[in-house]
Amino acid sequence: MALPQAKLDATEARLAVAARPSGAAWADAARDGALARLRAQGLPHRRDEYWKFTNPDTLVQPEAPEAATFDETDAPIFDAVERLKIVFVDGVFDAGASDDLALEGVTIERLSEAAQSDIHWAKELYGVLEERGQDPVARPLAALNTALADDGVLIHVTGKASKPINLIYHHQSPRSDAMLHHVVKLDPGAEVTLLENGPAAARFNAVMEVEVADGAAFHHVRAQGRDHERRTATHLFARLGEESTFKTFTLTANGVLTRNECVVEMKGDDAAAHIAGACVGDGDFHHDDTVFVTHDAVNCESRQVFKKVLRNGARGVFQGKILVKPDAQKTDGYQISQSLLLDGDSEFDAKPELEIYADDVACSHGSTSGAIDEEGLFYLRARGVPKDIATDLLTLAFLAEAVDEIENEDLRAELVNLLEGWLGRRRG
Amino acid sequence: MAALDDTKVKEGVDQETVDAVREMAGTYKHGWETDIEMDYAPKGLTEDIVRLISEKNEEPEWMTEWRLQAYARWLQKEEPDWAMLDYPEVDFQNQYYYARPKSMATKPKSLDEVDPKLLETYAKLGIPLKEQMILAGVEGAEAAPAEGRKVAVDAVFDSVSVGTTFQKELKEAGVIFCSISEAIQNHPELVRKYLGSVVPVSDNFYATLNSAVFSDGSFVYVPPGVRCPMELSTYFRINAENTGQFERTLIIADKGSYVSYLEGCTAPQRDESQLHAAVVEIIVEEDAEVKYSTVQNWYPGNEEGKGGIYNFVTKRADCRGDRAKVMWTQVETGSAVTWKYPSCILRGDDSQGEFYSIAITNNWQQADTGTKMIHLGKNTRSRIVSKGISAGQAQNTYRGLVSMHPKAKNSRNYTQCDSLLIGGKCGAHTVPYIEVKNNSSRVEHEATTSKVDDDQLFYCRQRGMDEEEAVALVVNGFCKDVLQALPMEFAMEAQQLVAISLEGSVG
Amino acid sequence: MLEIKNLHVDLEDEEKTILKGVDLSVEAGKVHAIMGPNGSGKSTLSYVLAGRDGYEVTEGSATLDGVDILDMEPEERAAAGLFLAFQYPVEIPGVGNMTFMRTAVNAQRKAKGLDEMSATDFLKMVREKAATLKMDNEMLKRPVNVGFSGGEKKRNEILQMAVLEPKMCILDETDSGLDVDAMKLVAEGVNALRNEGRGFLVITHYQRLLDHIKPDVVHIMSEGRIVKTGGPELALQVEREGYEDIKAEVA
Repeated sequence: MALPQAKLDATEARLAVAARPSGAAWADAARDGALARLRAQGLPHRRDEYWKFTNPDTLVQPEAPEAATFDETDAPIFDAVERLKIVFVDGVFDAGASDDLALEGVTIERLSEAAQSDIHWAKELYGVLEERGQDPVARPLAALNTALADDGVLIHVTGKASKPINLIYHHQSPRSDAMLHHVVKLDPGAEVTLLENGPAAARFNAVMEVEVADGAAFHHVRAQGRDHERRTATHLFARLGEESTFKTFTLTANGVLTRNECVVEMKGDDAAAHIAGACVGDGDFHHDDTVFVTHDAVNCESRQVFKKVLRNGARGVFQGKILVKPDAQKTDGYQISQSLLLDGDSEFDAKPELEIYADDVACSHGSTSGAIDEEGLFYLRARGVPKDIATDLLTLAFLAEAVDEIENEDLRAELVNLLEGWLGRRRG
Repeated sequence: MAALDDTKVKEGVDQETVDAVREMAGTYKHGWETDIEMDYAPKGLTEDIVRLISEKNEEPEWMTEWRLQAYARWLQKEEPDWAMLDYPEVDFQNQYYYARPKSMATKPKSLDEVDPKLLETYAKLGIPLKEQMILAGVEGAEAAPAEGRKVAVDAVFDSVSVGTTFQKELKEAGVIFCSISEAIQNHPELVRKYLGSVVPVSDNFYATLNSAVFSDGSFVYVPPGVRCPMELSTYFRINAENTGQFERTLIIADKGSYVSYLEGCTAPQRDESQLHAAVVEIIVEEDAEVKYSTVQNWYPGNEEGKGGIYNFVTKRADCRGDRAKVMWTQVETGSAVTWKYPSCILRGDDSQGEFYSIAITNNWQQADTGTKMIHLGKNTRSRIVSKGISAGQAQNTYRGLVSMHPKAKNSRNYTQCDSLLIGGKCGAHTVPYIEVKNNSSRVEHEATTSKVDDDQLFYCRQRGMDEEEAVALVVNGFCKDVLQALPMEFAMEAQQLVAISLEGSVG
Repeated sequence: MLEIKNLHVDLEDEEKTILKGVDLSVEAGKVHAIMGPNGSGKSTLSYVLAGRDGYEVTEGSATLDGVDILDMEPEERAAAGLFLAFQYPVEIPGVGNMTFMRTAVNAQRKAKGLDEMSATDFLKMVREKAATLKMDNEMLKRPVNVGFSGGEKKRNEILQMAVLEPKMCILDETDSGLDVDAMKLVAEGVNALRNEGRGFLVITHYQRLLDHIKPDVVHIMSEGRIVKTGGPELALQVEREGYEDIKAEVA
């Protein structure tokens, strides 16, 4: 079907201001393939069903809208954690601030360099998982990224990584328009924890493709910072092998527009995928979690746990889907999305979907939206806790189910700390 | 304008078909057709056909204009494709848009003068004799003694209402229950005021089509403070071949009134698919309550997926006044394709909407059904209980919207949506939309999908039931919450339907 | 009445043999008890006899009144007079207990070529039998086993046994999860059903149930075989010495 003219125009206008990076044959081919996909799909439009609740205009327009940089400093996160740091400033790799890209059990390369090598393992993954994730729902911003991103990291995990890898982002220029594309490949039995934190740019389009081979385990914890005006669209694509584990958690506070898509394909039997997120939104804030889990193997387990606290007109969106293919018997699929609306101007939209073609399954989803528990609030106040602190306590309790999805206790403690700090600071 | 001379009368339906259908009646109980002489309008849809339908119904000018406007809008509309339904394109020009039993032309004096085939039809539908007489239009039938419990019936045969029972008693209570064509003539002020006020002419493709070509349907008006003395019921039946049925139902419950309305649908077995696109509008004023129950058992097509009704229906209730209440209950076991979302607009403060649904799909059936609860007023309440059962190669989708508008303070919604799969080749899908724009409201949505529990089946079989019986029992248990919401006699019928619909789904 | 010969049974999904040659003969009018440690195959035996999926009979036979039951569907075995009181009675939401029992009774009557029982006759019959088990109307109206306590579930099993009047009753760990009073009530229910024409096979881990339902014969099962058979005194020996000693004794 021909695309509407408006879509064609928007797509070409966006491509006109960017050049496809040039590299080795495999990289060129992947990027050209993505360009063709993008042109066939067109960039998202607010009338697209998949963008029903989130207006993509500012993510699509040629130039990034201006966004003031964030001068207030958060307590440093993950500082207490022994880790390997990789720093990007406005989407540009900062060698000086980064550690040596050397870690036992892991090889780490920059995309910009690897894309020049004629032979590279990334050929099998770069843009490949993204393309797999384009069916049945188009994700044009991810195709745009594959076509145009010229940096990011390629991480090959061959054993058990000795410490977590931390991608740290800084936003310094009010008009920065960053695009990063990361690829993580875990060999059979390999394990790694990947941390991401910080606001990356005025506008940030990020794609991460993760291949989790048989028996491998990937843990991902992300803290999208409090930079208020930034706009972010991320895509996390994962393909899971037999008995593999994939766990991702994202904490988001503020950001005028955030859309986090997570697309997981369970290809090997007995795999587990946990996708969780907590967000705290205040004021001119729009946060969208869009998740698509495909069960294409036997006896896999998937969990989606998302919690949102919204106030002062903040808007939260959850679109989650569990697709169970015909032979994916013994699937255990679970999905919960809940929002706590702290005042009357805030808004929550949810579309929790199940599409199931196998009979021996147990799938369920739940979604709730409502105000803070008045009885709980009263109980705390009757014990002498001031209302704002009581509200924070109940808010933290509400978010706990999502935060508890983080397996590592130290990391969990870091995030709870951060969250408490944010809530405390809001009180002033 | 088309002259009546152009009207082609379809050739008589051959006896073989009738006999074949009878033999198969074990599988689909209502799969017979009645060999009745019919008047047909020519196939296809043009402005002339729209005028012809209007003329046949002896409608006033404003009604003709209303239809023509709808027709013009329909031409500009595209068939929606967002539902999880996959069926061959419908050729809207290969349908009859009007069919009418010839015997309706003059009123018979006694049952002897009535076309016996028509009476046979009623008997098969399980309509009592007295009602049969009234439906057949026998003079003085109202005076005859009635058997059993009173249910006023309006029967719509193909496109035409063939009669309404208990007119006199209803009239005494002040209730108007008649065909919509009669209402257009006798109560134009009510029809003009309310028709299209809940489902606007251009609401959606099928509703717009219906607005242009609807030939009959039922009309109910319950005056202020009146509790309708009996349940009202309409039987819809598609009988003629290649005939689309487009009925229009308009129910108005004025302040403080109450009415319970039952709708039953059947159609004969045919290899070719037939089109059904109905519109139901319900207006519920302050303190009024309407219960609308449907047992939809249109022909679902055969085991190979051949034939069956395409059922595209728009049903909506508007709770206009404070404390208005509406309850939709549906048991959807028939049709090859179902596209149907009975909805509630909760406009009045403290108004309530409920939706109870059982949708069973077997063989190659497809259903995309659910509801919309639009909360506009304060303290509004809604409840959705949906049970989807999928067997064979069928696809069953719940699609729903719960919307809490900013002014709908302190409102509540609870949704429970369960799917059951029988066999590994079918699908069960859940597509809920939840939009919450105020924080004093609470929305809760829960959904589960699972298969029929093997342990439950074994337990039943250990006690001596065969597998089909065990499945029917377990599924009926699964549907209990919805079955309980149905009026008693409908509930019994529905329970049996559940069992019949699932025949052949196990083993 | 029930003749089991050299019965060998594997789990269908895993390569695991559970029963390794069980021989057992229960005569009409007698109560046989099978005791044994956990995992000895007691419950498997009851499921295999009732025809549950997931087991494969690799060798041997089981007959009821001389008729091979192993090729029958579960409902055919039920109609032939075999009744299993489940260790864990299944909950069936939405299906009323009365509806359930009436459907079962009529299905069995139909299988025997009898007419359906009228609703009033059935109600009368069930109420009488329920009263002896101290089950009130409320319990009869509730969905099958849903929200029942452990004791109520077991009483409900015995009620169904009384209503269906089987020839051969298998009680699988009927005492598990019951306090003394509940166990007494259940045992009384079972004892009331004892008669010359009916055989019982009582499967239990502990001897205590056998204080209330006096067995004629006691078998000890271990690792998929019946390793010892004796009179009621054997149960007391188990109580005193435990299974290990008996296993050692027969080894």
